[in-house]
Amino acid sequence: MDGRGALAANQQLSRGLTCDQSVTYSLGMDAVFRALADSTRRSLLDELFVRDGQSLTELEERLPMTRFGVMKHLKVLEEAGLVTTQRRGREKLHYLNPVPIRLIHDRWVSKYAEPLAATISGIKRELEEEP
Amino acid sequence: MNDYMVINARGAMSVFETYIKTTPERLWEAITDPEMRAKYSFGVRTDSDWAPGSHYKASVPGVIDIAEGENLDVDPPRRLVQSFRALWSDEVKSAGSSRVTWEIEPVGSSCRLRVTHDQLADDANSELFGGWPMILSGLKTLLETGELLDTPGSLRYSQATA
Repeated sequence: MDGRGALAANQQLSRGLTCDQSVTYSLGMDAVFRALADSTRRSLLDELFVRDGQSLTELEERLPMTRFGVMKHLKVLEEAGLVTTQRRGREKLHYLNPVPIRLIHDRWVSKYAEPLAATISGIKRELEEEP
Repeated sequence: MNDYMVINARGAMSVFETYIKTTPERLWEAITDPEMRAKYSFGVRTDSDWAPGSHYKASVPGVIDIAEGENLDVDPPRRLVQSFRALWSDEVKSAGSSRVTWEIEPVGSSCRLRVTHDQLADDANSELFGGWPMILSGLKTLLETGELLDTPGSLRYSQATA
């Protein structure tokens, strides 16, 4: 398994968090945002969300794409740490690793979106409760 | 249930991975010390003597029981294998026993932490393993900054007292 890309990204992320260097912190996050900024890669993540632990062959069958294309996108996802792989016999199985998305959530979404989201869900609840 | 074939005859599996800038010893302590564990696990502590074959229980004492099981393999500071029986609702109790493996691998000045939750039913309730990303994010934040996550839900039981 090649986790070097993910490691580099995460080391940059770690360095940013411990040394307060927002630039290096952003570099680690950049790999994750870049990996997510592509609809094919997001559909690969969605496939793994539905059924975790799929082989390249299985993923290739589900997407209108060549084997080479799927491999290329999986590599980007692996380097961003969003997909991890495990060997099972002859096959390499791909697993969704949601932790980097959680890190984005804790760093970004909770700060900007949740107060608003809480308000909206409050309004929705009030409207639904009206007779 | 769906058209996916069963790949793993021993049940479904989920893998959670993150890199944390810390030592294996500090990471092991954060996983096995009840007070530290509570800081990034929704306020839930995990008590055990951590001997191989010993029992552990994750709970907010007097408030709610979260999980229990046995420490099947204890190899500090590298590897901890536990059986896992969820206790927080009747629904998750009916899922029975699954397995959680913690693996710590030093890489440069960081550690790769991998949590593998396997031996799950193919249609397992996602509540069983859905909390791991928040727990690992909180663990990373605690070890790297000394701070607690305060995102909604992450302190769920931390103010609870018996």
